[in-house]
Amino acid sequence: MAERIRLEKKIVTENDRLAAALAERFDEAGLLVVNLMSSPGAGKTSLLEQTARRLADDLRMAAVGGDLATDRDARRIIDAGMPCRQINTGRGCHLNGRQVAEAIEVYDLADLDILFIENVGNLVCPASFDLGEHRRVVVSSTPEGDDKPVKYPVAFRSADCVVLNKMDLVEATGFSPASFSGFVRDLGLDVPLLELSCKTGQGLGAWLDWLRTQREAVRCRAAPSPE
Amino acid sequence: MHEIALAHAVWRQVAAEMEKHSDRRLTQVRVVVGELSGADPESLEFALGLLVAESEWPHAAVHVRKEPVVLVCRTCGREYPMQEMRLRCPACGGADVEPVRGTQLRLESLEVE
Repeated sequence: MAERIRLEKKIVTENDRLAAALAERFDEAGLLVVNLMSSPGAGKTSLLEQTARRLADDLRMAAVGGDLATDRDARRIIDAGMPCRQINTGRGCHLNGRQVAEAIEVYDLADLDILFIENVGNLVCPASFDLGEHRRVVVSSTPEGDDKPVKYPVAFRSADCVVLNKMDLVEATGFSPASFSGFVRDLGLDVPLLELSCKTGQGLGAWLDWLRTQREAVRCRAAPSPE
Repeated sequence: MHEIALAHAVWRQVAAEMEKHSDRRLTQVRVVVGELSGADPESLEFALGLLVAESEWPHAAVHVRKEPVVLVCRTCGREYPMQEMRLRCPACGGADVEPVRGTQLRLESLEVE
């Protein structure tokens, strides 16, 4: 006799379990963890360099970064004044919870205000792999074209903040900021859209303010209530 | 993109469920893939088929159904289906919207005999 067993159960992957454990560790340590995602070359590393140069006196920050090969990005971030641990993924197209858990072993999380996770440059797979972060930032850039949000809806939908880099190249590339922001809103995203240029420094103030606000929000949530 | 890993996760949950029905034979697995879940239904069905073929129920059927996205506007309360990646509210134009369906990957049901 055939019988239908109704389950309606959300599929929990091994990475979901690892991410939940990481999220617990991050909450206990009380730091803000930001996962940066973008296509290759959008400017994740440049954004971290600029952040290190401008915020290192105020906040204790560190990073882990994923790339298929080389430690070039980590060296750039370290040179800018932020500790950074490179993860080489070989052929892996995204970072997973296990890689992040191993990479952060070198840090005392309780001594940090912000940990950045610079994901592998890819707007497809990283979106499906939670790393226990508090905030996701998608970085896009003007040479990529203004329709990126609607082409990669899953990544953009998961963003808590969208950064549009290389605003100094708007004229050269024929990029339409209005069209880009229209595509972001079409995705039903009510998140900050920060237009900036890591090269000229234009708009970086709003990014640093956003980081400070998120840091404060996570710290207030983590702080024990007064006796 | 990573449907083989997802298929293993689905299969672990199927196997755990079948342990509760060890006297029965699995004949069908039904999975739902939300349009915004990030998973591809066809690749997942193919990968699950490989796992089923090597299992103790090699003849069980695998059905993976794509679930369209349904959203609710937090501004005006309207519930509506997503049209071609336009998620913004068609009634008030608001961007503060919440998907209520179509984002999950879930094991819907099993059929046993």
